[in-house]
Amino acid sequence: MTIGHRTRATLVCYALLLPTLAMLAVFVFTPVIWAFSRSLFEFEIGAASRFVGLTNYQEYLGRDPTFLPSIANMLFLTLVAVFVQLTVPLIVAKLIHSLPRERWRYIYRLVFLIPTLVPGVAVMLIWQGMIYSDRGMLNEFLRGIGLASWATGWLANPRTALLAVAMIGLPFVGGFQVLIYYAGLSAIPESVNEAAAIEGCTGVGKFFRIDLPMVLSQLKLILILTIITGVQGFQHLLILTEGGPGFRTMVPGLWMYYNAFSFQRMGYACGIGVVLFAIVLGLTILNIKYFRSTEELQEAA
Amino acid sequence: MERWKVPAIHAVLICLAFMTLLPFFFTVNNIFRTRPEFDREFFSLPDCFKDLSQAVTAEEGETFEIENEEGEIVEAGSDEAISFNLRKAARGPRLAWRAIRPYMVNSLWVSAVTAFGVAMLGSVTAYILARYQFFGSRLTFLTIISTMMFPAVLTLVPSFLLVKKLGLLNTYWAMILPYIAGGQVFAIFVFRSFFAGLPEDLFESARIDGAGHFRIYWNLVLPLSKAAFSVVIIMNIIGTWNNFLWPFITNTEGKKHVVASGLFVLATSEHASNPATLYAAYAISSIPMLILFVYATRPFMRGMTSGAFKA
Repeated sequence: MTIGHRTRATLVCYALLLPTLAMLAVFVFTPVIWAFSRSLFEFEIGAASRFVGLTNYQEYLGRDPTFLPSIANMLFLTLVAVFVQLTVPLIVAKLIHSLPRERWRYIYRLVFLIPTLVPGVAVMLIWQGMIYSDRGMLNEFLRGIGLASWATGWLANPRTALLAVAMIGLPFVGGFQVLIYYAGLSAIPESVNEAAAIEGCTGVGKFFRIDLPMVLSQLKLILILTIITGVQGFQHLLILTEGGPGFRTMVPGLWMYYNAFSFQRMGYACGIGVVLFAIVLGLTILNIKYFRSTEELQEAA
Repeated sequence: MERWKVPAIHAVLICLAFMTLLPFFFTVNNIFRTRPEFDREFFSLPDCFKDLSQAVTAEEGETFEIENEEGEIVEAGSDEAISFNLRKAARGPRLAWRAIRPYMVNSLWVSAVTAFGVAMLGSVTAYILARYQFFGSRLTFLTIISTMMFPAVLTLVPSFLLVKKLGLLNTYWAMILPYIAGGQVFAIFVFRSFFAGLPEDLFESARIDGAGHFRIYWNLVLPLSKAAFSVVIIMNIIGTWNNFLWPFITNTEGKKHVVASGLFVLATSEHASNPATLYAAYAISSIPMLILFVYATRPFMRGMTSGAFKA
């Protein structure tokens, strides 16, 4: 039997790709397929499973008491996150970028990265312990300035819990986002800056007319990342509030977690996962379609 | 730029940096404070530091009050007071280290093996996909990259079911194997664009010299791609180090906790009654990332923006 030289070369290539493809097949594609297939079953680990069709989806979208409040909470938290991530780090990046000496620009970028070195769990626990406990920084500060009556268990009080979660990370200068925007600002060609200077376009006017259109790609990236994190993220709520008080800080992802690992409703949890996947996918497509990047604007012009 | 602007920008940035780092200043400060101090006053420097500075600057014959081993308050000279307060300051870190040492070891082991696996698989696969065109090569690349669109929330529960079915719960492999499988995708993306930029002449002449895949990979690709490797490895280690949820749910018996999940366990254990231990644990858990950051600042920062491909 003779195998052609080309066929042999192709087979060698596939042999080298085999470990990657095998890992993906087992640990990525299998769970993706299971997510859809298991969502049609009702089962607990160790017990017999029962095919129930779309019942899990009907229950979640129609009768689950957490559905509407948790979607509303998720939207609120995501909108706040989108708003702050698209503004604060961009302004900080612009401020850093407009410093004349490279040395300082480098130092500031480093400083804002320091918080990203602390594990996310620790950051949440630090905020919980310092800002939000009764004897935390925020309450002690309020007592200190004579507003003792305002002091409250910010995460335990049903009226403040959601807002308190949204405000974690104040002043919202994420080191990662600053670096992304900074890279975008640095990529603006010098000729554009010079032309703007000759036209007398400087300061705030230049920021809106030149810088902002030139970093649209970065804004789009941060927007998509923030939305994806906002829709599927729930770990901080598991640490901070467990979705409480009541369902005041419940989000769909956390409800999925509880259904799977506290109530043993694996099929139902898979269904919630699929619903969240649909939301993420829908929003990402909307984003790609309607939010135009700098390159696309240039092509259109 | 007008002259007043630069100082104004500095002032705004320093304010923001101070606010951003404030929780971490408090963390470090609280490492050295005891529970009673903590209950008495929220904003305060550690007592042991104040006492220490007094003892160090003490004059001949001055005495200090310290606690002896039975917890009674006794008079002591400045030398004893210094060593007492140093021991007092070290108490939080000591207890914290004892509590999280196994988690740190697990984290280091899991991150190292994962980063090695991701760099190996990712670079070999990217080398093939970047430098060779063969039947199905483009489709293979698109299939690999398409996995990026499946969010973690979709696969969390089924991945748990899978790992359970494979009998991997409560093992390192429950973390390492899924991490490598998922992490290699980003690595392939980074490596492929890097390898595609290498000049074809090099590969051409290597092949003419009769070098096979292994020789080309080992003698040509590896030495030329240190920058890409450092980015991939650093980003991967950060990801593994910070992943909390997956170790938390796959360690049903709680024996293989890594730092992230271990901190959460610690915060809900009996250690929670002693803030110094908790805050010291948070600080210690950040030290490896701090070392990585100091040791490899440039690749670290390059890695942060390497994910910023056109969305």
